[in-house]
Amino acid sequence: MDCRRIAVISILASLCVGAQLAPRPPNVESTSLICFLTGFLFGALSGALLGALTMFVSGFLSPYGFAGIIMPFQIVGMAVIGFAGGVYRKLLGRNFPAGWQLRLEVSFLASFLTLIYDVITNFGYAIQFNVNLIVALFTGVWFAVVHNISNITLFGGAFFPLTKIICNLVGEKWHA
Amino acid sequence: MHKRTLVIFCLGWLASLILAGCVAGYYYMNFQNLNQILEKYKGCVMRFNICIDYKEWNGTVVWYNDTIVPFGCNLLEATEKVATVNSTYWPAYQASFVNAINGVWKDNSYFWMWYRWINDRWEYGPCGADLYILSDGEILMWRYEIPNYF
Repeated sequence: MDCRRIAVISILASLCVGAQLAPRPPNVESTSLICFLTGFLFGALSGALLGALTMFVSGFLSPYGFAGIIMPFQIVGMAVIGFAGGVYRKLLGRNFPAGWQLRLEVSFLASFLTLIYDVITNFGYAIQFNVNLIVALFTGVWFAVVHNISNITLFGGAFFPLTKIICNLVGEKWHA
Repeated sequence: MHKRTLVIFCLGWLASLILAGCVAGYYYMNFQNLNQILEKYKGCVMRFNICIDYKEWNGTVVWYNDTIVPFGCNLLEATEKVATVNSTYWPAYQASFVNAINGVWKDNSYFWMWYRWINDRWEYGPCGADLYILSDGEILMWRYEIPNYF
């Protein structure tokens, strides 16, 4: 891996952690976008590791307090999103257009991955408070809806422009 | 359409359906909880229907059906459950006089009068609203009007 790529990954990692810890409305976050983007551009493992690292740091330093038993679930959830970025890139192949269809694809994928993340973290909540998983899902559904809508919007609007910018930074050819 | 696109779209729709199901579940759970509470206090509450008639003010009539209040509640307290009421207590009559309901104030000729639905017709209330204790299933009305005894 060349220096430029390492520098960009480091910037993305600090941006990701910073954005996760910054004050923001509950469940509106750009962490999943950055992890997915990292996985997409630098491989599934990089995305998964960044997701795990971000949630590990956030688990201790979050303005909402120490995450406790939910932290491992957050780590797994965000790692899944980062990993999915790499898998998606593999599915797309090297040459792909960045038309409305791909924007829609990313938005739909964001919706699905966000739900997976919410199910995983709600599972942690269910264990912590000893409640049924279905009850935990029902109780937190409005948070999940906000999370889903914000991620759909963010992925649909920002994913491809950011990919283009980062590809230019690392000197990779953009095929759109 | 590419197979990949189709699969991703299906996953997205599946996520939306699951979320919609969870929203429905959330409301169903709340409904069940409230029903349980209602069942618990069944012997302590009653239901009544109340109408607020603003016809003389802006032509509207608003009904509040199946309003739940505790047993022994008087009409003034019950009205305060469904509307913003301004009233003055008159010690001389040992009763309250309603000045305004939902911001519609009495004036020199118009007042808030209350009625009971008895024998298929409206009858004037026999006393002040705070002296009248409601019965289960009763139908009542507040009307903004020039009282017919004027």
